[in-house]
Amino acid sequence: MKKMSLMIFREDCIGCHACEVACKQEHGLGIGPRLIRIIEKAPFFIPIYCHHCAKAPCKDACPVDAIYRDEQGIVLIDNNLCIGCKACVEACPFGAMQFDEDREIAVKCDLCIERLKNNEEPACSKACPTHCIHWGDIYEMFEDIEKKIASRETAK
Amino acid sequence: MGEVKKVRTVCRSCHGGCGVIAYVKDGKVIKVEGDPDSPISHGTMCSKGLAITQLAYHPDRILHPMKKVNGKWERISWDEALDTIATKFQSIIDEFGPEYIVIGQGTGRDYESHLYRFANLLGTPNVLTAGHMCYVSRVGASLITCGNLPVCDYAANPKCIVMWGCNPQWTNPDEYKGEGFWRAYKNGAKLIVIDPRKGFLAKKADLWLQVRPGTDAALAMGFLNVIIDEGLYDKEFTEKYINGWDVFKERVKEYPLDRVEEITWVKKGLIQEAARMYATTKPACIHWGVPTEQTNNCTDCTRLLIGLMAISGNLDVPGGNAFFVPPPTISVSRFSRHKDLSPEQRKKRLGGDQYKLASRVALITPKVAWEAILTGKPYPLKAGLLCGTNPVMTRANAREAYEALKKLDFLVVIDFFLTPTAELADIFLPAGTWLEQNHVADNWKRHGYILARQKAVEIGECWQDHKIFMELGKRMGQEWWDTVEDALDYLLEPSGLTWEQFKEKGYLKGEQVYYKYKEKGFSTPTGKVELYSTTLEKWGHDPLPKYTEIPESPASRPDLLDRYPYILNAGLRTPTFFHSANRNIPWLREIRPDPIVEIHPETAKKHGIEEGDWVWIESPRGRVKERAKLNDGIDPRVIVAEHGWWFPEIKDPGHGWEISNINILTENSHESMDPVMGATNLRALLCNISPCEDVSKEGRK
Repeated sequence: MKKMSLMIFREDCIGCHACEVACKQEHGLGIGPRLIRIIEKAPFFIPIYCHHCAKAPCKDACPVDAIYRDEQGIVLIDNNLCIGCKACVEACPFGAMQFDEDREIAVKCDLCIERLKNNEEPACSKACPTHCIHWGDIYEMFEDIEKKIASRETAK
Repeated sequence: MGEVKKVRTVCRSCHGGCGVIAYVKDGKVIKVEGDPDSPISHGTMCSKGLAITQLAYHPDRILHPMKKVNGKWERISWDEALDTIATKFQSIIDEFGPEYIVIGQGTGRDYESHLYRFANLLGTPNVLTAGHMCYVSRVGASLITCGNLPVCDYAANPKCIVMWGCNPQWTNPDEYKGEGFWRAYKNGAKLIVIDPRKGFLAKKADLWLQVRPGTDAALAMGFLNVIIDEGLYDKEFTEKYINGWDVFKERVKEYPLDRVEEITWVKKGLIQEAARMYATTKPACIHWGVPTEQTNNCTDCTRLLIGLMAISGNLDVPGGNAFFVPPPTISVSRFSRHKDLSPEQRKKRLGGDQYKLASRVALITPKVAWEAILTGKPYPLKAGLLCGTNPVMTRANAREAYEALKKLDFLVVIDFFLTPTAELADIFLPAGTWLEQNHVADNWKRHGYILARQKAVEIGECWQDHKIFMELGKRMGQEWWDTVEDALDYLLEPSGLTWEQFKEKGYLKGEQVYYKYKEKGFSTPTGKVELYSTTLEKWGHDPLPKYTEIPESPASRPDLLDRYPYILNAGLRTPTFFHSANRNIPWLREIRPDPIVEIHPETAKKHGIEEGDWVWIESPRGRVKERAKLNDGIDPRVIVAEHGWWFPEIKDPGHGWEISNINILTENSHESMDPVMGATNLRALLCNISPCEDVSKEGRK
């Protein structure tokens, strides 16, 4: 089975927050839930995002089975089933699970599944000016990222 | 439900330039995304541009003209607004003269062509912009030194990049976006970063020079010293193309590395290493930012950096600092009809005799406008028209700016929202955002491109700025066109395209030629790079560049150190805000809810300040509060504070302009400014800090 996820090459994150706003726009979210978030500790920037875990603690914690993995390995939440208990928010080790106070439900990164269907990349990845947000099958991405880490050094 | 239409356009949430696809449904923009075919941004966008729908459809946005009646805003028609302004302006012209009207804008927003045309045809030489300390000052100093602005040629892959006081991935994208820089960096360019603060680029750099704020000109002298001393300069170029090479070398000798280290706090070994790397890695380019201009050394610092580019053989070469060839269009200067402003009117330019370089580039430093209003000398300005500018927040000595604008008899402001500056106006005119305009964008920039910004929607009764100047100008008998698009046809004439045809193309690029000086020399009086400036000599100034100590620094004012022991950099930029804009945009404000002052942990500890505490920042001019963020990437002697903060959520007309406005602390006395440009010291003044006793961590008040 594939395991689709985001993967952010943190070394190249400039903390511009373009991904955050692109994500909010794409998902029509207001103040509150931040499905991707960059913590600033200049000169370091720490991205907080859903890793679409193979063994997802959010999924395990959900008492009503509103969270599931689709056939691509994307961890999704069914808004209609969510009872707003926040167990998943507590369970997520990455702080990626968010709560929408307006709708009183948990919300999470869906890897822009609607965009993927149209062969478009996730909104955060598209906006990123340093191209440090990657997405796809994680094993392929590992190889890709190793290449990227090496690229500037080998180009010299 | 209508279909979704895609409109290809160009952002202007900062100075603009990034390509955008706007998704329009039922007459409303529902989403924007980067345009992958943009030669400038290649599909990427920043947070500011991506948040445009929240700005354009903001509930507080003013969508119709207004006038102030007994202190309250009332809606009026465009006809009434424009007739009122035209009548008032005409009566001032008849009674006093057009120079009694000041026309102003903030940073470059793609309408200077129209704003200047309006001012020139009105006959006023008094145009107030940010240009005295931002970009235009750099262009002015470049014009008198080498005839044009040298811009990093990222597309031709520099092998070494000197990022001098600039963070283009967050801010200041005049000619190029950070995206172009990043490509060049990833292609293997060496990186030298000059920055008082350890930011992302300092972390990535091969060499990071942590300079004392404001001493960049001295550091440039250090570089020059090494390059000249070690014979690393381009001998053929210096012999043939430098005016005053021998005297320049003598001047540089006055700055031995020991002295430079003392002034700049940068170790001389590091200066040597950086200078050698820059001079011997070819091609190399220098990308410089506004901190080098926002001091009394503004003009000389630019001249010294050009000196570095010139003597190292990196001027107008591929991958160095190039002079880009623009596509064939009517230039901003010609469109603006600068030649139509009579010599008699030019002579009346406020501060024109003193700030000759500012006068050369047709602007005034704000100080002379405030003085004219507050003291009546040399003559009292009677009216003002300000477009897209919030000087109460963004100019040095904010209290003086506020008092002056308050005192002005008649003020018109063009903006999106009622800002603290707009609240002082008599008439408010609602401007269209970049989603609501047709324009040949970037035609004022010197990067060799023009871009088609095309209208996606119309919102309320808002007009694009260009139309406002045009319609007001026509009412005052000025020569304009019937429509905005007719003016664009004129602007595009030399390209052989109409606006409609240009829109289809999306952009034009000039045909780049390098080494133009070999044929034509440089566009200066001597035809050479004037490191010895015949222009400055003629104006009675030192023709050779030098470093002048910052007027309020530990070195120049040791008497103040007891009370104000720290150097304040009053201009920390953020990626989400553009100067004083965007504090009311929910997506952006959520990311940065409070004004931030960065303090070294050791310094914070001394004052009992912890992360997140509200902190008083105090200078000899006053005090304001911002929230502490501890940063061990700055020198413990330096405090770095964000600028531009007002609080749109505070609904009284001041909108909290005094709470965190760092420009209440900055200075604008004549003695403190750049002698030819009138640039103010925004990046280096003295301050003290103390914890706010009267606020909780959560509350501002």
